[in-house]
Amino acid sequence: MILKLESVTRSKGGNRILNGISLNVHKGDFFVLMGPTGCGKTTTLRIAGLLDPPDSGSVLFRGISTRQPERKLLPVRRKMAMVFQSPVMFSGTVYFNIAWGLRIRGIPEEVIRHRVDAITELAGLQGLLERNTESLSGGEQKRVALARAMILEPELLILDEPTTSLHLSFKKELLEKIRELHRETGTTILMATHDFQDALFLGTSGAVMNNGTIEQSGSMESILFNPQSNFMADFTGAGNVIPVHFHGDTAVSGDLRVKHTGNRNGAGCIAIPPEVIVLSTTPGVTSERNRFTGTVTDMNRQGRTWSVTVDVSGTLLDSAVTQGALDELEIRKGSTVYLSFKANAVRVF
Amino acid sequence: MEGSFSPPAREKTSNTMKHLLEAARIALGMILSGDGAVYAITLRTVLIALTSTLAASVLFIPLGCLVHFTRFKGKRAVSGFIQTMYSVPTVFVGMLVFLMLSRSGPMGSMGLLFSPAAIVMGEVLLIAPVITGLTLSALSGTREGLADTSRTLGASRGRTILLVLSEARYAVLTAVLMGFGRAVSEVGVAIMVGGNISGYTRTLTTAISLGIGKGETAESIALGIILLLVAMTVSIAVNLIQQGRVR
Amino acid sequence: MAPVLVLLAAGCGEQAEVARLSEQDVTEATGVSSSVEPMPGVQRLRVATTTSLYDTGLWGYLEPMFEERYGVEVDVLYAGTGKALDWAMRGDVDVITVHSKRRELTFIEDGFGVERVPFAYNHFLIAGPPSDPAGIAGMTPEDAFITLMETGSGTFVSRGDDSGTHGKEKAIWTSAGYDYETQVRNAGDWYIEGGSGMGPTLVMADEMQAYTLSDIGTFLSYQGDLSLVPVVDEGDVLLNVYSVIAVSSARDPETASAMVEFLTSDEVQTLIGEYGVEVYGRQLFTPCAGEDL
Repeated sequence: MILKLESVTRSKGGNRILNGISLNVHKGDFFVLMGPTGCGKTTTLRIAGLLDPPDSGSVLFRGISTRQPERKLLPVRRKMAMVFQSPVMFSGTVYFNIAWGLRIRGIPEEVIRHRVDAITELAGLQGLLERNTESLSGGEQKRVALARAMILEPELLILDEPTTSLHLSFKKELLEKIRELHRETGTTILMATHDFQDALFLGTSGAVMNNGTIEQSGSMESILFNPQSNFMADFTGAGNVIPVHFHGDTAVSGDLRVKHTGNRNGAGCIAIPPEVIVLSTTPGVTSERNRFTGTVTDMNRQGRTWSVTVDVSGTLLDSAVTQGALDELEIRKGSTVYLSFKANAVRVF
Repeated sequence: MEGSFSPPAREKTSNTMKHLLEAARIALGMILSGDGAVYAITLRTVLIALTSTLAASVLFIPLGCLVHFTRFKGKRAVSGFIQTMYSVPTVFVGMLVFLMLSRSGPMGSMGLLFSPAAIVMGEVLLIAPVITGLTLSALSGTREGLADTSRTLGASRGRTILLVLSEARYAVLTAVLMGFGRAVSEVGVAIMVGGNISGYTRTLTTAISLGIGKGETAESIALGIILLLVAMTVSIAVNLIQQGRVR
Repeated sequence: MAPVLVLLAAGCGEQAEVARLSEQDVTEATGVSSSVEPMPGVQRLRVATTTSLYDTGLWGYLEPMFEERYGVEVDVLYAGTGKALDWAMRGDVDVITVHSKRRELTFIEDGFGVERVPFAYNHFLIAGPPSDPAGIAGMTPEDAFITLMETGSGTFVSRGDDSGTHGKEKAIWTSAGYDYETQVRNAGDWYIEGGSGMGPTLVMADEMQAYTLSDIGTFLSYQGDLSLVPVVDEGDVLLNVYSVIAVSSARDPETASAMVEFLTSDEVQTLIGEYGVEVYGRQLFTPCAGEDL
């Protein structure tokens, strides 16, 4: 295991920012720290990166405590590298920036030259080595920052919101670059992002933070398909979160009775992912145990798909529909429509 | 310098304009004739101020770094305190140094009172707040995240401090220049602890003070012009250095 | 860096002037020695003198002579009598030449000085506007002061500082029968406490067309610039005696007493008596070594 945080707390200016954060990052992981803006991701990363000390709790790198005098900590620092949300370039050329970390470690120039050439390809910085960093675009600077850190071959690379404030196309490019880097080099990566889609694209495991605490952690699959709370469901886009009363295998909310594959009683919530809801203009087409009739109240584009909101017995459900499917349905606001979805697609908590 | 050390043959110089014109004429004469005594005084003034500035920089730029880079409560209060000290009256510093160096004082056995070294001590204390405070300002003005970036790329504390200092070097150089300006124009402390001894601790400023007290207005203004020329030369030199770097 | 180190070394007892000129030229033009070979183990002799004596340039004249003869570097500092005595009490100067008999005697009694040795004298004078509004010309100093006090018909500018001149002024008031603190200081708008050195005080008096007490040296020095003229210059009380005292806690008592001997030597006494004739057309001091003044 590379990095372990145990019950880390931190306050700033009287405010509790982190309230007991624990996480494990294993060798080779691409660990994504997710959560809405302001939940404490950057603070956590700064502590993981040994920039700030935790108020309480511990940070262990390869099992060694980082609560040490500065002298002893330097070798540990040198095994990590961090790239910030808005990276700061050193005054000088791109080459100078990328070579910087190696230079201060006393690596001979020829070796540096060699390694810079190698990383240039990987980071997509061909032709930019002699440019002054001031003249680079934001995206280019991010790549320089990435190269600057990667060239050090760190045991742990920490990235703070690497794609924020980037244009969509650049963002995609950078994301792919990062994934390529991870696959090519096998570097352990800890990354923070508020964008769940990016997390899904890159991560192997992760944790979702909310207001200074970890809501859920584990593999990306478990997070995606097993949200453990409203918040999680909401964050992961599980959508259609409805407070209900359970009676065995039925969840009741007002006039809506939804079948699920569990067995419980009492109050709780269910989440019905929008993509599992199938719409049809003819009734009784499917064999799903959940079949309802409703009225279309709203239709919104969501990127390349549509979100169709349907009023079912007083409850609003969002359904994700492709453009093609929508065209076929020929529905609009006010249309009557038939919904169905599998009982086992209903998330329960 | 004629007229400063022996009773002059006095000319009638009655109004301000005449004084100023005469002063300019005298100053020019002093410079062009290579007046040995004036050059000696000027050199002494510059050397004392340079020594003070150098010593203060070596001592207090690191102090500014320390305050900037160390995390502690009440940093703002310390910063405020330093800025308050910009206005410390020179007589206060002068008295302090005098009492310290007097033979009846704690450092009396060193016999430093009424010597150029005493003036250097006084000037160092005087410009310490300026150098510390402006260094602090300079460091605070660097790009945020520079130190963090340096640390997370594996730099030691020392390396990081040097990096940030380097980024702030023009502002720090300005701080040093300001310190020099303050030191070279200092008269109160210089007289109190130096004694304005002819040929030993007499500087341009103290000579001006003496001259004015004796009514040698034109000669004193002439020395003042020379002092300004010195200050201007240093300022231009620093500016050239800064521009050279930028280009 | 070499000059800097030299400068710092200079603070510890050795002197090496940076500019090299013909010593003769500089000494003649400025009265200041500009280059001296440092003698091994030689101290610097610090002399504190009053501003009025300093301004006459007498020290600039005598200093190089002493330095050559005795191989000692002399530092001449100037201040008001009070400050000079203070320096001496602290042991920061080795010799003092001041002109306040009463305070000098106290100084010796308290053990700070070896012996009070008068070496030269001149007179104070009351200078005033040519128009002499108070009509005190030719009076005795005491009568002049009484007139000023009673009639208030003339403005008087006082030194108001700790100087020997101010001390003399106070002595005249006392001799005239007034208590300085209670009667003179707040006597009225006509009495002004200047707080400046002698020169600036004369300038102020000139501007205000007022009377003031001055030593002869400074007065002659400024005479060309001012409209003021001597108004009262006779009277025993105006006697201005300069004494030299070797400080008890001097770092080098031998050299200190050598200075006393120097000033009272026949040769130097003669020189002192002749000083000023060239520039002012008259002597500034009357030598008086050995006299009971």
